[in-house]
Formats: sequence, C-alpha cells, structure tokens
Amino acid sequence: MPVITLIEAVNQALAYEMQQDKNVVCLGEDIAKNGGVFRATVGLLDKFGPERVIDTPLAEAMIAGVSIGMATQGLKPVAEFQFMGFIYPGLDQIICHATRIRNRTRGRLSCPIVYRAPFGGGIHAPEHHSESTEALFAHMPGLRVVIPSSPARAYGLLLASIRNPDPVMFLEPKRIYRKVKQDVADDGKALPLDKCFVLREGGDITLVSWGASLSETLTVAEELAKENIQAEVIDVATIKPLDSETILNSVAKTGRCIIIHEACRTGGVGAEIAAILAEKGLMSLLAPVLRVTGYDTIMPYHKQEKLFMPSVERIMKSVKEALAY
Amino acid sequence: MTIFKLPDLGEGLPDAEVREWLVKAGDEVTIDQPLVAMETAKAVVEVPSPQSGKIKKCYGEPGDIIDVDTPLVEFESDEKAEPKADTGTVVGKIETSDVILQESATGVTTAKTQTKISATPAVRALAKKLNIDLTQLSGTGPNGHITIDDVTNAQSTTTSASNMQTLHSTRRAMSVAMSKAHKEVALVTLFDEADIGHWKDDEDISVRLLQAFIPACQQEPNLNAYFDGDNIAAETFDTINLGVAVDTKKGLFVPVIKDISNKTAEQLRAELNQFKQKAKDNAFTPDDLHNPTITLSNFGSLAGRFATPMVVPPQVAIAGVGKIYDAIVAHQGQPAVHKVIPISLSFDHRAVTGGEASRFLHAFIENLSC
Repeated sequence: MPVITLIEAVNQALAYEMQQDKNVVCLGEDIAKNGGVFRATVGLLDKFGPERVIDTPLAEAMIAGVSIGMATQGLKPVAEFQFMGFIYPGLDQIICHATRIRNRTRGRLSCPIVYRAPFGGGIHAPEHHSESTEALFAHMPGLRVVIPSSPARAYGLLLASIRNPDPVMFLEPKRIYRKVKQDVADDGKALPLDKCFVLREGGDITLVSWGASLSETLTVAEELAKENIQAEVIDVATIKPLDSETILNSVAKTGRCIIIHEACRTGGVGAEIAAILAEKGLMSLLAPVLRVTGYDTIMPYHKQEKLFMPSVERIMKSVKEALAY
Repeated sequence: MTIFKLPDLGEGLPDAEVREWLVKAGDEVTIDQPLVAMETAKAVVEVPSPQSGKIKKCYGEPGDIIDVDTPLVEFESDEKAEPKADTGTVVGKIETSDVILQESATGVTTAKTQTKISATPAVRALAKKLNIDLTQLSGTGPNGHITIDDVTNAQSTTTSASNMQTLHSTRRAMSVAMSKAHKEVALVTLFDEADIGHWKDDEDISVRLLQAFIPACQQEPNLNAYFDGDNIAAETFDTINLGVAVDTKKGLFVPVIKDISNKTAEQLRAELNQFKQKAKDNAFTPDDLHNPTITLSNFGSLAGRFATPMVVPPQVAIAGVGKIYDAIVAHQGQPAVHKVIPISLSFDHRAVTGGEASRFLHAFIENLSC
C-alpha cells in the first residue's frame, strides 16, 4: 500500500475519481502544466488531458463561477483556489449562487462542486497566504465545510466530497501537507461526511480540534497521559454540518471540554461548539468550556507565527484550568 | 560544495533580476538569513538562505537576470548536497519529516456513558458550598435534573433547628462506605481464640498477626480476593496487600502494607511504625490507602474481645483481633492461665463458604499458636 503525505493523498484521490467518473474535471491556477504550486494535481494533465485538467487565468471569481456553470450542466468540477486567502473575490459566486442554486431551482439544478484550497498558517509565508476563515464558510447555508487532518482522511473525505451532490469547501491544512506519511490504500473508499472522528479515547477531558491544530492537541494528550490524565481527542473533520452528537457524548463522559482552533477567536467555529455544549450538554459540564484559538489579528509574520497559533503550552494551560474545577 | 539555485519566487515567473546582494563570498550565514534582494515582474523579494554555512560564490551582479533553477549562491560545505525533491512553490516553507502515521482513518470507538449526576454547574457549585452530596438527592427538575431548590431544601433538612453537624472528610467517608457495605455484604463472622501462652515476653504481637495471614491466605486464597456483586464475579490474588485499620483523631484509616509475603519481620515492623507516625501527623497519602486485598482490625487494645467487623467491598474478608487477656485454659489436661488472643473472622458469604473461612481461621490460629 502506498505510504504517502497528505498532499499526495489529495493527488491520489483526484486521480482515482477522475478515472472512475468521466465527469470529474479539475480547474485552477497553475494546476495543469505546473501540477499545482503544492503539487496537488501533478500528473493529472498527462493522464486525463487538457479538457479535464484546466489552467485558469488569475481570476478567482471566474474559477468559482465557471464551476457553477459546469456543475449545473452535468460536470463535477474540483476547483482549486491557490490559497484560501485568494477565495474572497469568488465569494459572491459561491455564496449567492453555488450554495443556493438547488434551493432557487427547487432541486432542478444543483452544484456538485468541490472548492479546494490550502489553508492555515505556520509556513513562514507572506500576507494572504495563511488564512483560516473556515467560520465564514460554515456560516453559509447550502455549503459543506470539510477539513482533513491526516493523509488517510484527506483521501477518504475528498472522495466523499467529490461524490457529494452539493458544494463542498475542502480546506487542506497546508502546514501538515508533508509533515507525516501514512499507508493509504488507493481503493476508492470514501469516509463518512458529517461525522467527527475520535482519534484518542479518554475519560478525563475532551479535546476538540481540526486541521493542523490536531498535531499539537495530540501532543498535549500524550503529555497528559504521563500524569495519568486521559484526554479524549476528537477530529471534527466536517465543520458544517457539525456532528454534535459525538462531541456531546464525549463531554457527557468527561465533563470538560477544550476547543482548539488556529482561526481567530471571535466568531470562530469554536464558539458554535461551545454554544451547543451550553445548550445541550450543560448537565454534564463540570467546568467552563474553554477555547484555545488564534488571536483576533491576521497571522503575524514568520518568527511570531508560533505566538499566534495554539501551542502545546497554551493548550496545556487551558486543560489544567479546566481540571481545577 | 553546495549550489543553491534560484527558486521559483511565486506566481511561476521564469526569472528575476539581482537588485542587491546582502552577503558576499566569505560571509558566514545562518539558515533563513536574507542573501539577496531579487526583483521579479511583481515585486522585490528577499531570498532566504536554505542552510547555514559559508558563502563561496555569489552568481550575478546587480542588474543581471538570473533564470529560475540556475545557480544563485554557492556554499562551502563538507556535506554532500542532496538534490532537493521537487516540492513546488517556495511561498512559505512546508515542514517535512520521515514520520509514518500509525493510526486508523476512522479513529477509535468509544464507550458511551450516561451522565452520572444531572445538575447544572451552578447547582453543583452551590451543593459543594453547602456540603451537600448530590448523589443522595433526587431531582425534581425537567428530565430529573437536580434543581437549585432541591439543593437548598436538602440543606435545611440536614442542618435544621437541632445541633446536627454535617459530617465531613474521613467520618463522612466512613459513613458512606459502611452504609454501602451493610447494604451489599452477606456478613458472617467466625469466632475463636489463639493460645499464645508460650510466646516470649518481647514477641512483636502486631507483626505476628500480620504474618499469620500468609499461611492462611495460602490455605484459602478465596479470602484474599475481590468480589463484584453487580456482575457476580470474583478475582483471587497471589499477592497479599494487607490493610491495617488504624484509629486516629481524624477517624478510621486503613493504610496498606503491600505484598506482606515478601517482607521480613523487620520490614513489617518498620512499616507499622511509619503508619503510626503518619497517623499522628495526619499524613496518609492516597497511595498508602490504595486497594487492600484483605484487612486486619486490631480493635481490642483497651476493651472488646469479639466483634463482627464489617467487610468493605470489593474485599471479602477481615480479621478482627480483640483484647489479649489471661484465660484459664486446659493445658495437658490441667487448668492453666495462658494469654489468649480472641479472633473474629468476618467474611462475605456471597463469595466465601463457611468451610473456606474455617480453614483460613485454622491456619491463622495455627501460625499464631506456634
């Protein structure tokens, strides 16, 4: 079985599905000849030809909008935005149209689109290249938001997203694109959307996160185990629609929850999860629900990135706070 | 030597013009240190050093156009340069490693549990402040939640006009434990005495009592065991972790001497002395009190011969020893005055038979009587 990185898993999934389904097409900036600036689409042009692997102009609104046209007429576009920070010119197309076409046409037309983008910071990049604004997209009705955290989940969730009949924002945590490798069978098996994955079982505290922050979260769980504190670690994976049942069941067991996300604090998805816990899980809570997040500024440059992103130390501090109750 | 080629500065541009060198041949540089300012069609970009080392040569003068992927800077180094794998753009730096993730794509399954006590955090906080045990309350709120009124009502009934003082800490723990034990255990006690008339005056009584457990547990391991009444299951142990009931001003403590079979008389005496000191200093730690497999209660220092000591689950047996007294016994057909130890062996008849208890007691007494 191939032992591959997260970005290679994306490539593997695209190749698999394009082979299975002639309607799947890829479009984006530098994805065809160049194979993508992170090599997500390397090799696809040779395999599937220029009619299915398309280099677009530098025009995000066009990428978003053309995908809608393609999708409503029977294709399954996988459109790449080179960085999440470049999606914003395309928001009008996505929000006002892609997410609403099914509703607007009463089901006659729909948009089986996957909008892919590398997201998140921590890679020493300039401004606009480190965005984590998944909360913006989670807020939009009609749009699914999926964030893988491992090569295997990138493969399985991307396949599920392509096969899904409605628009998916597939956000790839680029900081961990090549951080680890994993055995990922190229068997075309999709993973379930709209479900959390419990990565570690424990009875003392629930740690909820997604994307690259899971790396630090799992490190914290290992450190806690040395003190005989067992943390349950949940990978949300599908940010919207949220699988609140898994999170509520976990907090019913542990009584304590810390939510960790790189995105800014205010209005981040962590707030939604905390509200659900207050509304439906209040009887289980032994301590306040705490959030360890990025600050309400843009990602700072280079050497201060580590101060912005939730570190092992900051997460551990919140864990100890919650355990004190 | 290592040659650093001009990387793709972003946006797929094919070349860039040297604007200004920030280092020169012979300089020592550190990783990430800016080497040169390059002007692309879009912007002036500073190219960071991919490694630490000494600059051997800079390619190009200000104004020269350098193609992407052609030499830019040469480093002096004694390591062999490995050709860098093609990783795409150099906007930013993506960390790589050789770590292989061992983990299932779908994660692990977890056990679901019911919430044990259903109360909001505010109610729990009030209960804690008023020292009310939520496990003893039944809730009148929606879905059986315990409400704030439930807690305040409980407070007034427990500490009403009388001088009733709520029990705390050790005494409270004893109340709760004995209540539970009384509810669950099928208690039977065997009474007998050990004739210790032949013991020397300086015999260490406590250590002899501890040691008597060893042959007794060997004879009947079913008394050195745990019993789970909910699942009707039992587990016997080879190791004897002996709980020794200690009376202190704070209340009843049962510290544990671990693995008595492998301890000498001196070690046992030393541990007993430690316990006495800790009892005086009120310094028992949770580890001291952890999981006895069977217990000794030497209750008779002043008075009391026989008793029906309580067995505390999950244990199944406890030996109570009363006040040693001078008894008139039959010794070789003649009356004689010997010191005698009264022994009360309680056991949980859900897990232990009378026969097993009797044989245990026999071995225990035999060991004391020699």
